[in-house]
Amino acid sequence: MIEFKGVNKWFGKLHVLAEINLFIPKGEVLVICGPSGSGKSTLIRCINKLEPIQEGEIIVNEMSVHKPSTNLTKLRGEVGFVFQQFHLYPNMTVLQNIMLAPIHVKKIAKADAEKIAREKLERVGLSEKAAAYPIQLSGGQQQRVAIARNLAMSPEIMLFDEPTSALDPEMIGEVLDVMVGLASEGITMCVVTHEMGFAKKVAHRVLFMDEGKIIETGKPGAFFDNPKTDRAADFISKILTH
Amino acid sequence: MLTDFNFRVILEYMPLFLEGLKHTVFIAIIALVLALITGIIACACRISRFKILRYPVITYIEIIRSTPLLVQIYFFYFGLPTLGVSVPEIQTGIIALMLNSGAYIAEIIRAGIKSVDQGQIEAGLSSGLNYVQRMRFIILPQAFGVTIPPLLGQAIVLVKDTALLSLISVAELTRSGQTLTSERFMPTEAFLTVAFFYMCIYFGLKTLADWSQKKLIFREAY
Ligand SMILES: Nc1ncnc2c1ncn2[C@@H]1O[C@H](COP(=O)(O)OP(=O)(O)OP(=O)(O)O)[C@@H](O)[C@H]1O
Ligand SMILES: [Mg+2]
Repeated sequence: MIEFKGVNKWFGKLHVLAEINLFIPKGEVLVICGPSGSGKSTLIRCINKLEPIQEGEIIVNEMSVHKPSTNLTKLRGEVGFVFQQFHLYPNMTVLQNIMLAPIHVKKIAKADAEKIAREKLERVGLSEKAAAYPIQLSGGQQQRVAIARNLAMSPEIMLFDEPTSALDPEMIGEVLDVMVGLASEGITMCVVTHEMGFAKKVAHRVLFMDEGKIIETGKPGAFFDNPKTDRAADFISKILTH
Repeated sequence: MLTDFNFRVILEYMPLFLEGLKHTVFIAIIALVLALITGIIACACRISRFKILRYPVITYIEIIRSTPLLVQIYFFYFGLPTLGVSVPEIQTGIIALMLNSGAYIAEIIRAGIKSVDQGQIEAGLSSGLNYVQRMRFIILPQAFGVTIPPLLGQAIVLVKDTALLSLISVAELTRSGQTLTSERFMPTEAFLTVAFFYMCIYFGLKTLADWSQKKLIFREAY
């Protein structure tokens, strides 16, 4: 469960998040879209405190994220984050990448961590790559490993920041397939993406942002076929011509 | 010209040169090890978020970088005795070289750490790893590869810098050249030999640097 209460954030003079109020119930799959620079990445980066906020409150599983007394290690253990650029650790093998946080954050025994890591790797269809280094993998494979690395922490919430936009077109499908699988399992997901097919297939709700504000939310079918605002309509027509 | 070149005197003075070479290598190794320790500690303070650690180290690094090494050597050579500390020349020289190289090494390590992609840090952060864990498992191993070649470069500089210790009468390699020059007045023979030995050390370290460049700059991030 994630809740934004009157959240405001500025980068200098730029008002990146303007009076955000948002409730994301447990198990919801939320797709966030909007033009470049509208604050989508910033919005989800605030959820696990990769970014500070100046006003308001964000609550994740009863924890107030930006309160100094909050146990960030616990919070971040419950919230996974998948980056556009994967950010696998190049100095470690795929298996070591996945085992690192379970061993050192969750203090799971090494043998158990390895078992979990191999399970998650199989789940994203990359069992045979356990001993490979990230640079030896394609972009799509790296992103699947990044997802497995998150899953090994058994997060309740997964945040995705444009997980497929750094990928060649032929690799987008393999990553989306994994994400569709996750969506059907009841993990709460916030996905910044312009993949309309994915949104229509698995999202419970689509949120459209512009200039730091939530302009419109709705069911994916209704949002894409019948947007309520001109700004959303304009945006949808632009991604359709792509 | 070359017919005047006196090989015999070089052979005659060879024990002196080898003694000087031994001292140069010895001083360089000790100073390098101490400078590495100094550099690591200074860098840790330099990137600390505590001002009490950061500011004194910034001052130290800036003082070293803004003044000539020879001035620093003289400062310790003449300064320490006035403080009532009497230290033999060799130790004085080692202290000066350690503090000098330590400052540069601190900056080399810091550059290596800064070269690690911000995304790596965010990946570590978002999975709940603390500062020490991020340093140990993610940042330092990646910084290491890019740090080794400039560190060996600094080692080469340090070896050549030991020559300045001849000015506070440390019996190192350059000093043996000076001795031969003053006793026999054969500066060409003396300093060609001295230069030859420095070049040997240089090529040894350079080979190591080139090899490490190939071996250690592994698996570039993307
Ligand atoms: N660290 C920062 N410092 C200053 N400004 C920033 C910073 N990060 C983002 N911004 C600015 O904040 C605004 C929102 O950025 P954000 O990355 O959230 O947009 P976005 O919707 O994710 O865009 P994109 O689709 O391009 O990823 C942009 O104008 C961006 O330039
Ligand atoms: Mg973004």
